[in-house]
Amino acid sequence: MDDQMANRIEVKALSLSYGPEVVLDALSLPIPSGQITVLAGPNGCGKSTLLRAIRRLHAPQSGQVLLDAEDISKLNGKALGRRIGLLAQSPSAPQDMTVEELVRLGRYPHQAMMQPWGAGDDAAVAAAMVGTGVAEMRQRRIGSLSGGQLQRAWIAMVLAQETDVICLDEPVNHLDMAHQLDCLELVTRLNKEQGRTIVLVLHDLNLAARYADQLVFVADGKVRERGTPETMMRSDLIDEVFNVTAEIIIDPVHKRPICIPHRRS
Amino acid sequence: MSEVVAMRRRTMPGSTTIALLAVFAVFVLLFLAGVGFGSTWIGLDTVTGVLLGGGDRTDRLVVLQLRLPRVLAAAIAGGAIAYAGYLLQRITRNELASPGVLGVVDGAALGVVLFLAIFSNESNALTVPVAWQPLAAALGAMTAIGLVFLLSGRQASSAIRLILFGIAIAAVAKALTTIFMLIGPIYQAAQAARWLAGAVNTINWSEVQIMLMVLVPVGIVAGIAARNLPPADLDDASSRSIGLNLPVYRIIMFLLAALLTAGAVAFAGGVGFVGLIAPHMARLLVGRGRMAGIVMSILLGAIILVGADLLIRVAFAPLEVPAGTVTAVIGAPYFLYLLMRKDNSNG
Repeated sequence: MDDQMANRIEVKALSLSYGPEVVLDALSLPIPSGQITVLAGPNGCGKSTLLRAIRRLHAPQSGQVLLDAEDISKLNGKALGRRIGLLAQSPSAPQDMTVEELVRLGRYPHQAMMQPWGAGDDAAVAAAMVGTGVAEMRQRRIGSLSGGQLQRAWIAMVLAQETDVICLDEPVNHLDMAHQLDCLELVTRLNKEQGRTIVLVLHDLNLAARYADQLVFVADGKVRERGTPETMMRSDLIDEVFNVTAEIIIDPVHKRPICIPHRRS
Repeated sequence: MSEVVAMRRRTMPGSTTIALLAVFAVFVLLFLAGVGFGSTWIGLDTVTGVLLGGGDRTDRLVVLQLRLPRVLAAAIAGGAIAYAGYLLQRITRNELASPGVLGVVDGAALGVVLFLAIFSNESNALTVPVAWQPLAAALGAMTAIGLVFLLSGRQASSAIRLILFGIAIAAVAKALTTIFMLIGPIYQAAQAARWLAGAVNTINWSEVQIMLMVLVPVGIVAGIAARNLPPADLDDASSRSIGLNLPVYRIIMFLLAALLTAGAVAFAGGVGFVGLIAPHMARLLVGRGRMAGIVMSILLGAIILVGADLLIRVAFAPLEVPAGTVTAVIGAPYFLYLLMRKDNSNG
């Protein structure tokens, strides 16, 4: 029972195919409450699909995803939208939408016919914009933002949902180093200060190792191995999952393991 | 374009209200002129007087029985098609979408031609009540949009794919319509041909009534359903992750747009391009606001069709050129202009 409560999400034997192509193969994964879980793996391993399946954007052929021990297939869309936020890869919005209009859409799952926009919604939108540093560009149009600003506006939209679980699919793709750090530091703050459960898909293994509490290697639609970055960052495992020979050293600043890939194996 | 102020929150900023009032004033003037103009000119003051319950018997007869139904029908049909176009442009996130481009207008027209072919007798009379005509149009419109949707398959979220299939379905529906008019036992072929091109000149009060009975409820339902349009502005994954069931919502909006189109086409004929131009101009005038966009689209659609009908009577009298021809002459270049613009999708 204790174990169950400690896991906010429990993925159980999830199988999912696109036509004949098996993407997730009876995959199981516990996602601990209040931690940062990072999914990593080679291209096409199924990590993005797994993240989307956790938010029920894909219907599995078999298996289930439990959220607080409740099967998510039994929840309606808005109820799920109040509990799990997801920022997909390369999201899009009309170019002439303002930042504030976008962030306000994060309140959609909290609204109903009989429950119009209220002070709580305004507060959530304001907090989300301040937290991501987009408050001063609230009137700017989406089309006029730089890549980093745009990404922060989208994260603000997800934050305005006020969900306990936040899933981000490659949030630092296409961002320069400074904005990558900004983004991941923001995610860490949400986790450490507000205790939110975070699930990230990250391509960069060293960033993954730096920010993850639980690092998960996904390969061929299965969880190959999971654990703390210290236990996961081994050259034999990295060789097996990513097909590269790598040297592992400890990053002198963050005291986390980092890998230096030196050739394709 | 960038100085257009978007509607924010629930309050309309001044410029939106002013734009709406200005366009409404244009509509009223055009409407009165539409009623006043004909084989005899009736002054706007007389028209207003009759509409408010005054005027002498001849004026009342001409205005109320001959002219008003025609102008009213043009306004209703133009407004409804523009409304449908607004919904389609929003839900497909593409300004090239419209009832005409997606095959809905031609689908509805095919429905009506089939209806006329099947249910008219040798003396050019319908064997069933004319009230069934919108139903035939609706079936045709929904079949067309349904086919476009099915053919687009898993990529139904791609506006370009929908538009390509829409154009194909429109062509098929047009061809079938022509075939049925040539070979079918249709005794009203000449009339049907004129109606097809969009003509409101033969409309009477009972038809206006039927139009209103169909379009008002559908319009209200669509207005309520449109509350979910803002989250549908996002890509599929984002809109679904904030809790909108986009695949279902998209189908609902397509069906509502098809019904609005059918209600208009059933009596006003195939008035092309109104559903493309009006919502696009509305967006330029009032920005992204939903209610302002809908109201502005309806007003502009009504203005375009009432204006086209008026132009015909001023420029081509006594010939009754179909109003759809005029809207096509204006609309086709506009469509080309939208096609040639570099940034033609808002995604």
